[in-house]
Amino acid sequence: MKPLRQPSVLPGFGLTFGFTTLFLSGVVLLPLAALVLMTASMPWSEFLHVITTPRAIGSYRLSFGASLLAASINVVFGFIIAWTLVRYEFPGRKIIDALIDMPFALPTAVSGIALTTVFAANGWIGRYLEPLGIKVAYTWIGVTVALTLIGMPFVVRSVQPALLEVQRDLEDAAETLGAGRFYVFRRIILPTVLPALLTGFTLAFARAVGEYGSVIFISGNIPMRTEITPLLIVIRLEEFDYRGAAALGFVMLVISFGMLLTINLLQAWGRRRHVATGH
Amino acid sequence: MASRPYALLDEVATRPGRDTAVSAVVRWTFITLSMVFLAALLFAPLATVIAMALAKGLGAYFATFLDPDTRAAIRLTLITALVVVPINTVFGFAAGWSIAKFEFKGKSFLITLIDLPLAVSPVISGMIYVLLFGLQGWFGRYLQDHNISIIFALPGIILATMFVTFPYVARELIPLMQQLGNDEEEAAITLGAGGWLTFFRVTLPKVRWGLLYGIILCNARAMGEFGAVSVVSGHIRGLTNTMPLHIEILYNEYNFVGAFAVASLLMLLALATLVVKTLVERTGYRRR
Amino acid sequence: MSITLDQVTKRYQGVPVVNDVSIDIGDGEFFVLLGPSGSGKSTLLRAVAGLTGVDHGRISLHGRDVTHVPAQKRDVGLVFQNYALFRHMTVADNIEFALRVRRVRASARRERRRELLRLVALEGMDERLPAQLSGGQQQRVAVARALAHKPEVLLLDEPFGALDAKIREELRRTIRQVQRELGITTVLVTHDQEEAFALADRIGVMNLGRLLEIGRPDELYTRPATRFVATFLGAANLLLARQTKNGLRFGTLGAEGGADGSVADVPQGAREQEVVAVIRPEEIELAPARRALVCSYLAAGVVEEVAFTGALERLRIRLSAGAAEAELSRAANGNGDGLLEVTRSQHEQRAFGVTPGQSVAIGVRRIHVLPTPLSSFTAYAATLAQATELSLHPLLAELASRMRTRVSTRTADEHAAITGAAVIAAEPEAVAKIEWLLKEGVEEVLVLPQGAGPPQRVLIHWADDAARGATLAVAASLLRHVAAEGVYVGILPTSTPDGQRPHSMRALLDARSEAQAVHGLEMRTELRFGDVAEELARRLAESPDQILILGISQLTGLGARFGALLRPEARSPVLIVHRAADLRT
Repeated sequence: MKPLRQPSVLPGFGLTFGFTTLFLSGVVLLPLAALVLMTASMPWSEFLHVITTPRAIGSYRLSFGASLLAASINVVFGFIIAWTLVRYEFPGRKIIDALIDMPFALPTAVSGIALTTVFAANGWIGRYLEPLGIKVAYTWIGVTVALTLIGMPFVVRSVQPALLEVQRDLEDAAETLGAGRFYVFRRIILPTVLPALLTGFTLAFARAVGEYGSVIFISGNIPMRTEITPLLIVIRLEEFDYRGAAALGFVMLVISFGMLLTINLLQAWGRRRHVATGH
Repeated sequence: MASRPYALLDEVATRPGRDTAVSAVVRWTFITLSMVFLAALLFAPLATVIAMALAKGLGAYFATFLDPDTRAAIRLTLITALVVVPINTVFGFAAGWSIAKFEFKGKSFLITLIDLPLAVSPVISGMIYVLLFGLQGWFGRYLQDHNISIIFALPGIILATMFVTFPYVARELIPLMQQLGNDEEEAAITLGAGGWLTFFRVTLPKVRWGLLYGIILCNARAMGEFGAVSVVSGHIRGLTNTMPLHIEILYNEYNFVGAFAVASLLMLLALATLVVKTLVERTGYRRR
Repeated sequence: MSITLDQVTKRYQGVPVVNDVSIDIGDGEFFVLLGPSGSGKSTLLRAVAGLTGVDHGRISLHGRDVTHVPAQKRDVGLVFQNYALFRHMTVADNIEFALRVRRVRASARRERRRELLRLVALEGMDERLPAQLSGGQQQRVAVARALAHKPEVLLLDEPFGALDAKIREELRRTIRQVQRELGITTVLVTHDQEEAFALADRIGVMNLGRLLEIGRPDELYTRPATRFVATFLGAANLLLARQTKNGLRFGTLGAEGGADGSVADVPQGAREQEVVAVIRPEEIELAPARRALVCSYLAAGVVEEVAFTGALERLRIRLSAGAAEAELSRAANGNGDGLLEVTRSQHEQRAFGVTPGQSVAIGVRRIHVLPTPLSSFTAYAATLAQATELSLHPLLAELASRMRTRVSTRTADEHAAITGAAVIAAEPEAVAKIEWLLKEGVEEVLVLPQGAGPPQRVLIHWADDAARGATLAVAASLLRHVAAEGVYVGILPTSTPDGQRPHSMRALLDARSEAQAVHGLEMRTELRFGDVAEELARRLAESPDQILILGISQLTGLGARFGALLRPEARSPVLIVHRAADLRT
């Protein structure tokens, strides 16, 4: 049998590896096993029934629909923001660059109540949208806005390093060869940034699907209409319907795993392209 | 979030571009679009927090913090962070040392496990502990018989917070340790240093900036965690309410000044985190 | 001896990166391990430092076996290519680190630090951080740090790799000076032959995990034993030559082209055979005509290219037809381009200036003949198509390119003599062919089955004791060019009486020490009992990627004895080495 690890002169493998696996087993694997087994102990028909109630379906529609929309908005604006921060010098650039991570560091409850206040009918922005017939707070639009905010840093931070990679020389060379601006964008910039954009999209989407704190304040939580799946799980738990909650949680967990896999594959793809282009 | 080489960023941004009229139009369009987007989604909410917290004057703002329930929430949050952050730091080092310094089978599986909490909904993160320790959970009966409460009590809050935040230190340290290599550790060993000495005198100082940011970020997330804690806490006022949960209660009671006053504290914490991050990136954290 | 390595082997995923290396390094010696990247030299150094374990063999420092001693307790000073300074510590703290670990008093530490900073000419830099120093200064600090605890040996792993040329030279001088002053045994790893020449008392040249040759710089330069060392240590022209009692003959020039015995250091009493000759570019003389040459005539040629490089002039001379075929050196496929590389001093240029296109007579002051038995390969088959196909066999092509030699083809109807080793396909008539070739005077025959790849193990066996020396020489030559381990398989009849066995064991160990002493070949030994051919077949069947070198001195009964190993079904190549008993010297 091959040894578990390659021999090294540095000590401490047993201690650190042991602690790491013990910690992960206790904190991650055991609780997750509880979730999976709880779900597995349900009869198949019951499981199917729980996860396909009209209320559950409605929550999926909102959770996934709004997340998809928010992640798409972020791909466009995330790219624009990353481009602006990487390519242009303007007053306050460094501060804004630092603030991009704000949604990441800010507790979700804070962003939730703040967004609700801003977009409520009498809020700073809501009051201008209301006359136009656009209601944001307590509708699916509000959910999308909240999910856009929390997903934004993921796209910007994925794209920024990739944009730094695009060599200006390469663009200049292309232009001296007679390539137009849009052609340069399409043939040189986009291909370099594409893996990063997709990674950012997936990260933002994965984060949005599970988001709870910043959404529940602005969504209004009307069953079938503005109720997200995580909230439905919380409601089931509060009803002490553990099995129902576990089943819904299981569905979300499977989706999360899928996302994680996709992200890893995308990043591997990006690295391969990286190597292939010889940077 | 991975840090980026700032020097490089500055260089690219200030490199002479092409000064044509079209570039100027594109440039201002991009800057304007970015600003409008960020203003609506980020700056307006941040400003709202301050505006709402101070809506009834400084007196009302500070009065919030005299309320015993608010104080209890702050205390609970601090205790949680005080327990969770050190444990996660130790975990981060253990994971960083074993993953960055050794080659072994199943390494990528371990890394995936560490990333998992970042991909899982916070609600699920809380729920798995309810399923384990809740009344109808695996150990529920046993815990009740022995009069141990985990769910709807401090241990549950700590566990859920730990689950949600343990990746942050590890994710800072693993790439940093990998990238800094083993040369210095090997040099220390050939010079006669043992394992612990090498760790404390060489490795720890080497990664101190990344470690600092990891700890600060972990702390911010631990203090601000809402979803997972909300599921396990039971929302008992003055007892199992952390700051974010207290914000929710005050908000739902239409006590906006109170809610936003507590929120402003957490926002300050987030700002401080970003300041540390920026400083760390600008100073000793230059990547080779 | 200060450092003794005994058959050190290190494998990564089964592939040996350090292969059976034995070295003795004396007290106070400056030893340089030289080799291309991936040759295993750094791994070997790390093994001495204790940063890498070894799979086989022993390492001793000053007579103390440290093979299983952890790096902390080996008392070596190691300098890394990238300095590996503790970046958060000042120069002073870096240097004092080893002393702090040993709980040396502060005043003693300070004193030692001052002494070391003076030694590396960095006085007054105590409080700087590594980031505030230049690359050269950082490396000086690294040297001082490695010396602080007065280690028994100083190990330097490509210490100049990251520095530019001028600082490199300066630092080189410092290191040599420090080494002399302290008299500390030093091992330096580098891929730069100029650096090796400048520093070394002795050089060990490594390639493919093997230590090829050890010697003083001038010895290795003027009298290399292998093609690799000849070409790695400076430019060299390699030519195939026929060694006769009157000297060397190149190409098809017959008695016309060649050099008499006075310029070629041909081993005494050598047999007439094909050899590889090494001619350094600076040993070549050019003249307008043959009679104007001061030294021995080699061939005629035409100047193809002249380049001025400062002190020296570099020329490429196209050899005239007849001599051009002898040239081996540059092209990767072993077929030379017929160009001779020449360097001339200013003095020579003034005496006889040349321009491209000019015809010249080429003379040679000194020729070194490599003692290698495998000079070239000739693929031999019934038809030209088959011979060509055989010459393109992947293993043969690989061998030829690694040995920097050529593969020519021969068919049964041609009457020219076969030079070098003959190569035939494994086929039913292989035995007959071998017998015919050996009778024709060919001394090595390689039998190649289809699809054989580069070997990982070379099995060595001689059926007749008369062939022992030649077999070992061929094995040594082959093992220098492939990353494989050498295993001598000794086979005794099952009926060997017990009293006879210790004697056989001794013969086995004698064979090993002869291989080591005479041919510089490290090999392992195995003793088996049974029928020779059966045991060899069984051993070959144990794993793929093996090659057998079989020494024989009698032709009779070849088919009956070894036919089974030479059939097309056999998976492993067999290299037959034949030396008739009476020709042995």
